[in-house]
Amino acid sequence: MDDVKTVDLQAIVRESNVTAVLEQVDRELVGLAPVKRRIREIAAYLAVTRARKQLGLEASPPSLHMCFTGNPGTGKTTVALRMAEILHRLGYVRKGHVVSVTRDDLVGQYIGHTAPKTKEVLKKAMGGVLFIDEAYYLYRPENERDYGQESIEILLQVMENNRDDLVVILAGYKNRMDTFFSSNPGMSSRIAQHIDFPDYTQPELVSIAGKMVHQMNYRFDAEAEVAMGDYIGRRLQQPNFANARSVRNALDRARLRQANRLFAGIGTDTRNVTAEDLSTLAASDILASRVFDTPDSATST
Amino acid sequence: MSNDAMTSDDKQITDGKKRYASGVLKYKQMGYWQPDYVPKDTDLIALFRITPQEGVPADECAAAVAGESSTATWTVVWTDRLTACELYRAKAYRVDPVPNTGPGTKTEQQYFAYIAYDLDLFEPGSIANMTASIIGNVFGFKAVKALRLEDMRIPVAYLKTFQGPATGIVVERERLDKFGRPLLGATTKPKLGLSGRNYGRVVYEALKGGLDFVKDDENINSQPFMHWRDRFLYCMEAVNRASAATGEVKGHYLNVTAGTMDEMIARAEFAKSLGSIIIMIDLVIGYTAIQTMAVWARKNDMILHLHRAGNSTYSRQKNHGMNFRVICKWMRMAGVDHIHAGTVVGKLEGDPLMIKGFYDTLRETHTPQSLETGLFFEQDWASLNKVMPVASGGIHAGQMHQLLTYLGDDVVLQFGGGTIGHPQGIQAGATANRVALEAMVLARNEGRDIWNEGPQILRDAAKWCTPLKQALDVWGDVTFNYESTDTADYAPTATASV
Amino acid sequence: MMTNSNQRVTQGQFSFLPDLTDTQITAQLEYALKKGWAIGIEYTDDPHPRNTYWEMFGNPLFDLRDPAGILMEINSCRKTFPSHYIRVTAFDATRGVESPTMSYIVNRPAKEPGFGLVRQEVDNRSIRYTVHSYATDKPEGERY
Repeated sequence: MDDVKTVDLQAIVRESNVTAVLEQVDRELVGLAPVKRRIREIAAYLAVTRARKQLGLEASPPSLHMCFTGNPGTGKTTVALRMAEILHRLGYVRKGHVVSVTRDDLVGQYIGHTAPKTKEVLKKAMGGVLFIDEAYYLYRPENERDYGQESIEILLQVMENNRDDLVVILAGYKNRMDTFFSSNPGMSSRIAQHIDFPDYTQPELVSIAGKMVHQMNYRFDAEAEVAMGDYIGRRLQQPNFANARSVRNALDRARLRQANRLFAGIGTDTRNVTAEDLSTLAASDILASRVFDTPDSATST
Repeated sequence: MSNDAMTSDDKQITDGKKRYASGVLKYKQMGYWQPDYVPKDTDLIALFRITPQEGVPADECAAAVAGESSTATWTVVWTDRLTACELYRAKAYRVDPVPNTGPGTKTEQQYFAYIAYDLDLFEPGSIANMTASIIGNVFGFKAVKALRLEDMRIPVAYLKTFQGPATGIVVERERLDKFGRPLLGATTKPKLGLSGRNYGRVVYEALKGGLDFVKDDENINSQPFMHWRDRFLYCMEAVNRASAATGEVKGHYLNVTAGTMDEMIARAEFAKSLGSIIIMIDLVIGYTAIQTMAVWARKNDMILHLHRAGNSTYSRQKNHGMNFRVICKWMRMAGVDHIHAGTVVGKLEGDPLMIKGFYDTLRETHTPQSLETGLFFEQDWASLNKVMPVASGGIHAGQMHQLLTYLGDDVVLQFGGGTIGHPQGIQAGATANRVALEAMVLARNEGRDIWNEGPQILRDAAKWCTPLKQALDVWGDVTFNYESTDTADYAPTATASV
Repeated sequence: MMTNSNQRVTQGQFSFLPDLTDTQITAQLEYALKKGWAIGIEYTDDPHPRNTYWEMFGNPLFDLRDPAGILMEINSCRKTFPSHYIRVTAFDATRGVESPTMSYIVNRPAKEPGFGLVRQEVDNRSIRYTVHSYATDKPEGERY
C-alpha cells in the first residue's frame, strides 16, 4: 500500500507562505480582478510543479518567463515585485530581487558596446527577476543595423540556458508587444505566462486616489472628494491618460496648489495653521486644474 | 566594603598660601584627585589596578599614582608656581572597586583608578618618554602594595605623532600576494645548536611543503654553533629555492636582535641585501630600539616581526605589572608588523576573551569599549596600520577549526613542533597544516559550522591527504587545558580555554 | 614538471585542495557577495610570484546579488583561455582594507612548467636570486 508516492502540497503552500503574498496583492491593488486571478493560477501552477518535482515527475525546470501587457499605470511594476516574491518563496529564484530596465540599459551606442551592457544587466538580475519595460523598443525593424537585435539574442540565450538563475518579465502596451512577438518568434516561444492588465474604471481610480491620499497623510474634504471624481472622469477622456500614474500626478499637483493656498493666507489669516489645515486638500486645489478649463481641453496640467 | 576604605575627607587645598607652604601634603590635597574632572579628547587616559597599602584610602592611593606618574614629588615645592602646574598635574578622576575582590573573596581589595594626563606631558613620537612617565617610578611606590597598568586610551592627537606599523596587514598581504586565509609559519627547531647549513634545510623543507613563513626563535642571534651571517645566507637560499618550487612568495624572519643598535642595523642591511622580505626583533631590545627598527623597516620595504620575549615577567600576574593589551597598543604605535599575541588553544597563557581584546587592539581601525574583552576605553586608531597577530606555541593541525574561529583570517598560525615533528618529515608536516587550513577556510566560507563539524572536515580531508591523516593520528588529541591567570573582571560568564 | 608535493603552483587560498567544482566556486562567490565584495576574474600565462597584474577578464563585477552571473563569466574566461591560469579575486572597499580579501585559482594548464632559480654570485658568499618562469622562455601566446 505504500507504493503510492505522496507529497504534502499543503505543506509546500504553508511553508513557502505564498498565501501571504497573494493576500498582499489583493489588499494593495484596487480592482484588477483578472490579473489577480492569473497570479493565483500561476502561484498554484508553481506550487504544483514543485510538488511534481519532489516526486520526480518534472525533469527540467519549467520556463517561467512572463509578459505583462497593459497601458501605463495599470500596476505592472507592482505585480512584478510581488511575482518575484512568489517565485522566491516557492524556490524558483534564489534571491527574489527585481532589476527593472528599459532599452537604454541593455543596448549600446556603438559596436561592441551592447553585449557587455546586456550581460552586465543579466548578471545583476541573476537570482531574481529581470523586468524589461517597453521591451518592444529592443526591436527596430526600420534600422537593420540596430544593436537591439544583439541584445535580444543574448537575452534569448540566457533565458534558455539559465532558467534556474533568472526569470525575465517583458512589459508594455498589448498591441505593440503582439507585433514584437510576431517578428521575434524565438522570444514568443520562450514566454510561458501572459498577463493582461486592463485599464481601471472611473470608480476604481477614485478608490486608488483615496488610498494614495491616505498614504501621503492627506485627506480630501467632502467637496474635494466629489471634485476628484469629476476630475478623473474628465481626465479619462483625454489622451495620454496613464491610469494610476495620472492620478498620482494629479494629487502631486493638488498638493502644490494647497501649499500655495496656505502660503498666500499668511498675513491675511491671523490664526496659526493646524495639522488639519496642513493635511486637507480642498475642492479648489483640484478644480484649478486645466482639465476643467474647457470641456474638450486636450492638455492637462 | 566600607566607604572609608574608598574615600577620605581630604579636599584639594585651593588657597595658594596653604597649598605651597613647605612640608608634606596628601596627594589629594595637592590636587591629584579631581572627581569632577571630565577628560579632554586630547588627554591620555590610563587605567590602573591598585591594591592600596593597609590604611590608605583608594582615592588617596589613586591620587598618589597620578602624582608620582606626573608632576609630584614627596614634598611640596614652590617651583611648581613657576609652571602651569594645574595643566601638568595628572588627574585621578574615578575609582571603582574591582569586582570579585575584597572581603569574602580570595583576593584582597583592588580598585580601578582612572587617571587623565594632558597631551603636553609627552614628547611626540616617543614610546620611551610616554612610558617613562606612566610606568617610570610609580610601580615601586610604597603607598601601593601592588599596581597594574590595565589599559590606556591614547588620544588621536598623540597617535598621529607615531609612524605606526612599517608595513601593516594590508600591504603585507599585497606584497605576499596571499589573501583570505591565515598565514602559516613555523619556528625552526631545535631552537639552539643547528649549524647554518642544517638550519636552512629545515627552512627549505617547511616552505616547500606549504608554509608561508619560517622563523628564527627569540634567542637565535649569533652563537658559537651558528653565526648570524651563515644563518642569513643559508636561510635565503632556502627561501628562494622554495619560492621557485611553489611559485609563491616565501619568507624567513631573520632575527636581527643584537647587543648594539649599530649591529642590529648592520644585520638588517645584510638581510635586505640578500632579498629577504622580513626581519625580526625581540621585545627585550627596548622601546627605542624597536621604534628605530620600525623606521628602518618602513624605509627599506621590510616587514618587521616582533617576538614578545620577556613580556610574561610583567604581564601575567593579575595584581602587578601591566596587561599585555597595553603592550599591544604600544607596539602598534612603535611600528611593528607582527606580534605574538596568544593562541587561546596552545601551550601559553591565554583566556579567549582577553585574547580577542588583544587581537582587536592590533587589527581594528576603531575599537569600542568592551569590558568583557578587557578593553576599558573606546579607541580610534587614527589610521595607524594594522598589526598582524602571531599565534605560536603548542598548536597543531587538529585544532584548525578552533584557531580559525577564535583568531580569524588576519593572523599567522605558527606550527613549529606540529610541522617539524611530523612522522613523514618536515614537508609532509607543512603540507598537513596547509591542507587542514585550506579545507577549513573553504568549509567556513561555504557556511558550514566549523566549530562543531571541524573534526569531521579534517577527517574528510585526511582521506585524500596522507600527511594530514598522520598528523591527526599523532597530535589529534593533544590539548593544553589549564586555567588562565589573566581573565576578564567583567566577563558575563567564566570562560576557559578549549 | 614541478617537484613540490602537489606538482603545481600553490598561489591562492585553495591550491592544496582538489580543483574546486563549479558548485564549490559558487559557494565561495556567495560568501564574497554576502560580504559586499566586488569580484574580478583575471588570467595569465606567466604565474611568476611577483607578476602582480594578471590580465583582467573585464572589470571587476560590482553590485551583483547572485553568483550565477560570475560563474558564467568564469566559464566564458575558461572557454577563451583554456590553458591559462585563471584566478578569482574579491575586493573589499571598506576603509582600512581597500584591498583584495580573497584570491583563488580556478583554472590552470594541464602541465605546469614551474620556475627555475637563477643565482648570481656576488661579493663574498652573497647571492642575488632571480626566480625565472619557464613559461616565459616562449613568446606570449605560445606558452602552453
